[in-house]
Amino acid sequence: MNARQTLGRAAEDAAARHLQERGWRLLARNVRIGRGELDIIARRGPVLAFVEVKARRTGTCGTPEDAVDPRKRRQIARLAELWLSARPWALAGVSDVRFDIVAVDAGSVPCRVRHLPAAFTCDG
Amino acid sequence: MLARIASEALSGLEGHPVEVEADVVAAAPAFSIVGLPDAAVQESRERVRAAIVNSAFQFPSRRITVNLAPADLRKQGPSFDLPIALAFLVATGQATDGCDGRGRIAAVGELGLDGSLRPVAGALALAQSLRRRGVRGLLLPAANAAEASLVPGLEVYPGRTLAEAVVQLAAGGGEAAPPADLRALLRGGPGDGPDLSDIAGQHLAKRALEIAVAGAHNILMTGPPGAGKTMLARRIPGIMPPLTAAEAIEVTRIFSVAGLLPPEMPLVTRRPFRAPHHTVSSVGLVGGGGTPRPGEVSLAHLGVLFLDEFPEFRLSALEALRQPLEDGEITISRRLTSLTFPARIMLVAAMNPCPCGYLGDREHECTCPAHRVRQYAARLSGPLLDRIDLRIDVPRVAPRDRRDPAPAEASAEVRARVVRARDAQLRRLQGTGAYANAHMAPRDVRRLCRVQRDGIALLDRAYDRLRLSARACDRLVKVAQTIADLAGTETIDAGHISESLSYRARGAGES
Repeated sequence: MNARQTLGRAAEDAAARHLQERGWRLLARNVRIGRGELDIIARRGPVLAFVEVKARRTGTCGTPEDAVDPRKRRQIARLAELWLSARPWALAGVSDVRFDIVAVDAGSVPCRVRHLPAAFTCDG
Repeated sequence: MLARIASEALSGLEGHPVEVEADVVAAAPAFSIVGLPDAAVQESRERVRAAIVNSAFQFPSRRITVNLAPADLRKQGPSFDLPIALAFLVATGQATDGCDGRGRIAAVGELGLDGSLRPVAGALALAQSLRRRGVRGLLLPAANAAEASLVPGLEVYPGRTLAEAVVQLAAGGGEAAPPADLRALLRGGPGDGPDLSDIAGQHLAKRALEIAVAGAHNILMTGPPGAGKTMLARRIPGIMPPLTAAEAIEVTRIFSVAGLLPPEMPLVTRRPFRAPHHTVSSVGLVGGGGTPRPGEVSLAHLGVLFLDEFPEFRLSALEALRQPLEDGEITISRRLTSLTFPARIMLVAAMNPCPCGYLGDREHECTCPAHRVRQYAARLSGPLLDRIDLRIDVPRVAPRDRRDPAPAEASAEVRARVVRARDAQLRRLQGTGAYANAHMAPRDVRRLCRVQRDGIALLDRAYDRLRLSARACDRLVKVAQTIADLAGTETIDAGHISESLSYRARGAGES
């Protein structure tokens, strides 16, 4: 595992902890579908969220949410649809399906975590 | 959940019913609009989203599909914002449709990002179309209410914001705007523009204009720059018969669809005067474009289309005028539909006698080479000139007239004579479909125009000497008939014929 992967792993752990502390139940982590990956799939009450985790060591390269560009958004949306179509039961009791971003600022200790609900939709 | 809101789409001047359906389901979030929407309708998503959030409603993260039915009708413009937002709010349980069992109401309106309702174009045409189909009421932006309430029998529910519209929908309408008092609006509107008494002298030109207006003849004025051609033309609406209530509605409908209705004026109360610049394209002149819009000929419907510098107009634009001049309407064909806009106009054209403008002037010398003068005149085709019954010279005002302190005759007096002459024509033309002498068919000219014996003799002489065509001869009689109508006589005498002959001055290329 190289340094970048280590950072990503640590950020995902921090994000997962952050979500769990706030009442989210994690349904799956690091779901690989084809060449893509969904970082975290979580559920809280009637809300099902596909969470993309973005880590940043410094603030010099823009915010973490900026790093989820339109191409990445489309990819996540497509993977989510595939995941859902294989598990129709996952929508039982669900009213809202969201694409969230959890931004992890790894430059500070302990790392700062920000949760952006409904950061984007299938159409941008 | 599924919800439906009725709305209305405009195609040309006609409304078509559109059913706005919103389906909201728990699935990967997306907001899509289907049903042949154009770019403005697609952008509606962003306006609706912002307006809903900023009106303190929830925009849940679900899959939203909006369908605009029927799917084969092209949907254009931002007027579906309101029905889309309402359908969405009903589908998500944040609003209720209180119209059940009472007859539905339709909704149109553009949304601002803050949830405010902005006026839409063509509210009058939409309201008329809804009324014809028996729809009970219309929910629309407050700024359009005065215009829509011109339609009797349709309940008009104005809203300033999306939140107000939601309240009204829940009440199945709520408080309707009071119906407009058409006659009061017509009386209270601005007058018919500048008065004929402002112009000193030019008695011959004024007389010709009076005849032209009385018989709905088209007219061409030729004269040097500064002679007052434009001043004269601008005063024509003031001597035309006043707009009737039905005509005012017709004109307002066209202005409203073109988006030219001033916000503080729900009704056009004076006859239109349109003076497009000579660089106008043929589409600008007769209408059309990707989203067909009325052109200048339609905006001048029931009024005056003034074309200054007549020969400078593009040939394509001038030739495109022929159909509307002939039929009083213009048909625009598109892949999916063909639209008709009314275009019953009085054409008033003005030109200089030559490119420099001074040919035939007593004070100035014309500097144009002879071939340039011929080229200039030749730009006007025979078939087009054929539609112009009167051609007059408008020379510079004589110094004596310019100093004359006695006020010239006011427009109101001329108008009174015109109205009398029109009444006489209406009586005679009953059953022919024409309402003025200019529109008589050749058959009707022979049947209805009674020329006295001395008039016939003069006509025959002119026919020989001037080598008139049969058509030119008909035209001569039509104008003479109008002169007789103004004089209040039943038959046409030699005097009427000879005056009529004097209005076929110069103008290029006699037919």
